[in-house]
Amino acid sequence: MRSTTKNPLLKVVILGDGGVGKSCLMNRFVSNQFDEHSFHTIGVEFLNKDLDIDGQTYTLQIWDTAGQERFKTLRTPFYRGSDICMLTYAIDDKTSFKNLELWRKEFTYYADLKENNQIPFLVVGNKSDVPREEREVSQLEMETWCNENGITSCIETSAKNASNVQEAFKMAVQHWLRLESRADKNETATNDTVDLSKKYGDNRMSCCVGGSEESSN
Amino acid sequence: MDEEFKDYIDIFSQDGVLLKQAPSSFIPFINAIGTIYIWSTETNDGTRPIKRFLEWKPNDVTIDSDVQDQEWAVVNTVQKRSRTLSGNLPADHYNKLRSLKINFEDIKRVAKKNRDLTFFDGSSEPMCTLLFQHGDCFYFIDLLKTYLSVGPSRRDKNIFIVYDADSPEYQELNKTFAALDIKPNDSSFWTMFKNIKEHPYESSLMAFSKVSTYVYRSVEPGNNDILLNDDLQRSLSEIDDNITHSGGDYELVQKPPQLPKRKEFPRCKPLREEQWKAQFTCDGKLEDVESIKTLIFRGGVSPKIREEVWKFLLDYYPWDSTLAEREALVIAKVQEYYDMKLQWKSFTKAQENNFSDFAQRKSLIEKDVNRTDRNLDFYAGDNNQNLQKLNDILMTYVMYNFDLGYVQGMSDLLSPILMLIGNEPDAFWCFVGFMNKLISNFDIDQAGMKDQLGNLFTLLNFVDPFLAKYLETHDCANMFFCFRWVLVWFKRELKQEDVMRFWEVLWTGYPCQNFHLLVAVAILEHERSELMGNDYGFTEILKHINELSCHLDMDLMLNKAEGIFFQIKEADHLTDQIRFIVGLPLIGNHCTDSHELIHFDSPDCLVSSESHPKCSVDRVSISPDEISFDKSIQSNFL
Ligand SMILES: Nc1nc2c(ncn2[C@@H]2O[C@H](COP(=O)(O)OP(=O)(O)O)[C@@H](O)[C@H]2O)c(=O)[nH]1
Ligand SMILES: [Mg+2]
Repeated sequence: MRSTTKNPLLKVVILGDGGVGKSCLMNRFVSNQFDEHSFHTIGVEFLNKDLDIDGQTYTLQIWDTAGQERFKTLRTPFYRGSDICMLTYAIDDKTSFKNLELWRKEFTYYADLKENNQIPFLVVGNKSDVPREEREVSQLEMETWCNENGITSCIETSAKNASNVQEAFKMAVQHWLRLESRADKNETATNDTVDLSKKYGDNRMSCCVGGSEESSN
Repeated sequence: MDEEFKDYIDIFSQDGVLLKQAPSSFIPFINAIGTIYIWSTETNDGTRPIKRFLEWKPNDVTIDSDVQDQEWAVVNTVQKRSRTLSGNLPADHYNKLRSLKINFEDIKRVAKKNRDLTFFDGSSEPMCTLLFQHGDCFYFIDLLKTYLSVGPSRRDKNIFIVYDADSPEYQELNKTFAALDIKPNDSSFWTMFKNIKEHPYESSLMAFSKVSTYVYRSVEPGNNDILLNDDLQRSLSEIDDNITHSGGDYELVQKPPQLPKRKEFPRCKPLREEQWKAQFTCDGKLEDVESIKTLIFRGGVSPKIREEVWKFLLDYYPWDSTLAEREALVIAKVQEYYDMKLQWKSFTKAQENNFSDFAQRKSLIEKDVNRTDRNLDFYAGDNNQNLQKLNDILMTYVMYNFDLGYVQGMSDLLSPILMLIGNEPDAFWCFVGFMNKLISNFDIDQAGMKDQLGNLFTLLNFVDPFLAKYLETHDCANMFFCFRWVLVWFKRELKQEDVMRFWEVLWTGYPCQNFHLLVAVAILEHERSELMGNDYGFTEILKHINELSCHLDMDLMLNKAEGIFFQIKEADHLTDQIRFIVGLPLIGNHCTDSHELIHFDSPDCLVSSESHPKCSVDRVSISPDEISFDKSIQSNFL
């Protein structure tokens, strides 16, 4: 079962209210399947998936937890050591959007981040397939919230019709790479690596929807 | 002191050691995490006697602020939030008291309690207590034993006495070493010891080969076999005690107290309709409840009579009720159900909006109902009436027990009941009965779950100490990975028909309390070679256990679990702690702590885990950070 290759392994945690589609997103990404009636998650689950970006393969270890407040003690220990956190809501559920703030706080508190060590947050608005009249959160609202919270990446997805799911994970890894290279740059005086951070350095607060900006990278 | 020993050799170091108790001058460092070192003065010239020291140094002068969280936050043992001490300490204080040093010569007694080691000089006041946060003080004790003539106290195996060189005990110790042609302080001993750490299997064979040579040679004269045998016995146990104690990566230690042989308990046929009907008196009272329960425990219930039997098992119908009493009861209970249902049904939209607690529960129930057993025909399809019933019963339960409300997992518990008992009020009251049996699983603070997972570990440690030790050294002692099993009684692990059978068997309360935990022990034991043979770490174990879902042989599990129960019950070394968990009468004997592991012997119990080098000897530091959860995933993931 052990992988022989030494791909970089990234730990990704998907957080958000119950029912926003975290498990469905994970399953769509990992096995490209969608089961409308899959069980709600009890306890903690995870799946692995390789992702190629610019010729490099990354192994994503995706952690999916139960969202209910009651199970907080069960899930928070898993936050430690995360490389990427996906804050997820459903675009047809305003409450789940409002709760992003709580999820961000919970994660930041328990992930035990080192000082100055930024964790790439990615905001994911799932269920983009729902009919227009059922939408409760607009893209603009999402972007505004991200700007206010210093989060640079956000995207709307649909686990149901697979739209933007691959892109969301790719975007998360790219975001992680940017932060990594910036951290490297800060640590070592020598800088013979490609400086990805420069390009984004000035417009860090900008959001991008649909992954278009990212995929052009 | 430092000046005196300019040349010294670092022999050992281990990080993650908390100073729990120390002389008053060290009070600022109490609860600080640090590193423990053993070092000795340089020996080359041989002019001065070698001095050895034990030294504890705080790590960057930090204090751990949430050691208490440890047991539940085990997933990762690295980098706990810590605050810097430098601000609170006077500068000179900080400079003077860099470390706590103990000369080996002063150590007269070492007491081990769980992960604590307390050092004593001659007096009754301890010199200090160190807490090995990562649970690996066995290795440290082994090292102490190689430098000090240590033997376990006769009174308490967790107290180690340092013997004087001329004491009879010490002579005894030396004799056994001499018999094996190795000396505790000599380099070949040291090499062998080191080799065992590095190549446990081969080296221990080597060690045993020395023993067999001894046997071979001494058998030749042929007269005093019995005596020799005794000597050998003692030698072997000395090897265990002095050389090859556990180091975290492998085990080769004393034989644990043996459990009695396991018996087979084949499953029987389900309780049949005739058997059931025959038990009723003419006024509809059950005659022999105990034998009915025994039959149900042995084989479950035939689907034909299941609905009625479940109403008894779930305490809806009292076991000693007459038919007339039950009929009256049902009338009252149906009424009560609809009254409660009406309460939430008649909420206006405005009321709901102003009652966010309620609205939240309602919305979560709605979401979960849509994700409960939808693969079964009974709940399949949109606008299925049964989904509505599932929803309404859960909503009514919120009104019935508003303090608890709705917790994820409850829809799983209700679903099979509703499938069997189609009518809402009856299903509701049976569900209430089931909830009453495991309501502590849904505690706000998850205390009930923590207790159960803790009890599961304790039971496993009693039944299969080697596996328990393995889990402990792989950050799994909290049994996180069994959370789903315990929360919903294997509902997600078994097929629908098996769930019903399994639950009715468990509801009898036979053969003991917490039988579901013994089932968990049986499964883990069944998977032990898979888990240990592949050297699975925390994530791999979690994954493996999650993937057992729908691949469990329920009859085999029950058979084994019952066998385990009788082994436990008849064990000579049964403790009150275990008795308490399974509900046997207590007899007031000493409880072993759940973390006090009993160890296994025999070479085939050796498990090496090259990929998690935890400890090594000679100038190599051990940093628990290196074996942290995350890193271990990164180094050897699936
Ligand atoms: N329309 C739509 N429904 C979705 C989508 N993703 C998930 N769902 C539905 O939302 C519900 C909750 O999904 P789930 O993944 O279990 O949520 P979780 O609690 O966040 O893990 C399920 O019933 C899914 O069918 C999506 O992209 N579009
Ligand atoms: Mg889920």
